[in-house]
Amino acid sequence: MPEATTGRMPPSSRDLSRKAAIVGVGDTDFHQDYKAARAKAPGYELPTPESLASTAFERALADSGLRREDIDGLSVSFIYGGPNAASMAQVLGLTPRHLINNYGLLAGPLPGVCADIAAGKCDTVAMVYSAASRAIGRQYGGESYGGEGGGAPSSYYYHQPWGWTSQAAHWALIWRYYQATFGAVEEDLGSVAVQLRKNALTNPNAVMQTPLSIQDYLQSRYIVRPLHLFDMCLVNDGAVCLIVRRADKARDLPHKPVLVAGWGEGKVKGGKMDQMVRQRLRPQMQHAGGQAFEMAGVSLSNIQHFEAYDASTMHLIDQVEGYGFVEPGQGLEFCKSGEMAVGGALPVNTSGGMLSEAYMHGWSHVAEITRQMRGEAGARQIPGLEHSMFSLAQTDEAHPIIFERGA
Amino acid sequence: MVEKRPDRVRGAGHDEFWAWCEKGELRLQRCANCHRLSWPVVKACEYCDGGDLSWERMSGRGKIVSWCTFERDYYSGLLPIPWETILVELEEGALFISNPADMTWKEIEFDMPVKLAFTQCEDSAGVFSLPVFERT
Repeated sequence: MPEATTGRMPPSSRDLSRKAAIVGVGDTDFHQDYKAARAKAPGYELPTPESLASTAFERALADSGLRREDIDGLSVSFIYGGPNAASMAQVLGLTPRHLINNYGLLAGPLPGVCADIAAGKCDTVAMVYSAASRAIGRQYGGESYGGEGGGAPSSYYYHQPWGWTSQAAHWALIWRYYQATFGAVEEDLGSVAVQLRKNALTNPNAVMQTPLSIQDYLQSRYIVRPLHLFDMCLVNDGAVCLIVRRADKARDLPHKPVLVAGWGEGKVKGGKMDQMVRQRLRPQMQHAGGQAFEMAGVSLSNIQHFEAYDASTMHLIDQVEGYGFVEPGQGLEFCKSGEMAVGGALPVNTSGGMLSEAYMHGWSHVAEITRQMRGEAGARQIPGLEHSMFSLAQTDEAHPIIFERGA
Repeated sequence: MVEKRPDRVRGAGHDEFWAWCEKGELRLQRCANCHRLSWPVVKACEYCDGGDLSWERMSGRGKIVSWCTFERDYYSGLLPIPWETILVELEEGALFISNPADMTWKEIEFDMPVKLAFTQCEDSAGVFSLPVFERT
């Protein structure tokens, strides 16, 4: 039996820097699949976690130039349920010596795989992720999180007697406080949704392919006032597969390897509402970012491209500010002046992010980093890219990863 | 009039919180080790993991730090839409999510002072007193 571990984020360590690289990437047809799911034409079959993941895996394998038998590790991340790694290996026709079962969100699984590769447990890992969020009718509020012991933070379920629920409500409290603190207005935050839609229009695989104006944003319905529909990420079905290989074996493949250079982790201990609403997780991002920069041996000023978990427009800006790319309170002006566009000071979520490309729980952000680093991003290509940063930020945690273009 | 609400979290500790509410008191757990208040109810201090917690009565005075209004119906008609919620900073320092008893988002202002009130509610476990806040 191959060894199976549960994915977790290993501590940041210089010894683990650049030990592994992304050498293959594949994903599903976000745009076409979303259209088909909405149209529900005769013959339309709901996707399953396995069917989605298989498609992404085959594409990533072909992209990597590797053979099936080169894959000696398999990591599965099925956020809303799916087969374990051993079963998925059978589905994919793989016989890996190392299996990893982990929770769906990126960032943690990738550093975990890098650490396993560095420890000699395997050389080449297929990391498959999928979410059939739409197919299963997943709800993001109300009584969908269970109660105590369900694994969700207490803020996801505890305040229900007051009718306070949903991730959206977390971001709404942050946005209202931000408005009061910095004098920002809805047009300012709307600029983030508009910018990410512009980015998506340069990505043929993005779910959203129609332009979004600031008027469209302002006229859209509120979900949790003051947040509009377009402040929230999409809900769609899809999968991403990354193939990660030992760095010294990653050089003679069709594509330039994308090295995993550093990572970090910051978590709220006590006082979550204060840390989230008033600090906007800046202390956690500063801590985690510091670890990642130290591990990678690069500084914030080296980062030319930022891909961040945009569950909402607001939380994207929290990350742009929280890591120190701009000062607190300046993020929306930064976006409005075009600095988050390709060609700006810090291109952000260049393929459209979860707001306009696909809700792939961080995985499509890393797929985009891979394509940008290789120079495959077409109309949205950032020239001369050497360092990108990804950030997962939830309601009480921050997990950055720094990537470097390999030789 | 008793308002229908989504279910409370029940069990050890949680029931004690609601029992205090029934007496018209808002009490949170203060840690004997680091002297900070935890909320929601915990088994050990959320800051230092200390296990020596005592139920301290809050003054009921506070100010509104943030607020949001649900335009989407997350509870299948149980609560009327729009539904108003506030984040109150209690005088003692803890942040407490609640409802405004006597105003909507149109009247709420940042740092607005509020005071504790209780409203009679009912969930699947029965009738209970829910801490809410009203204008001072």
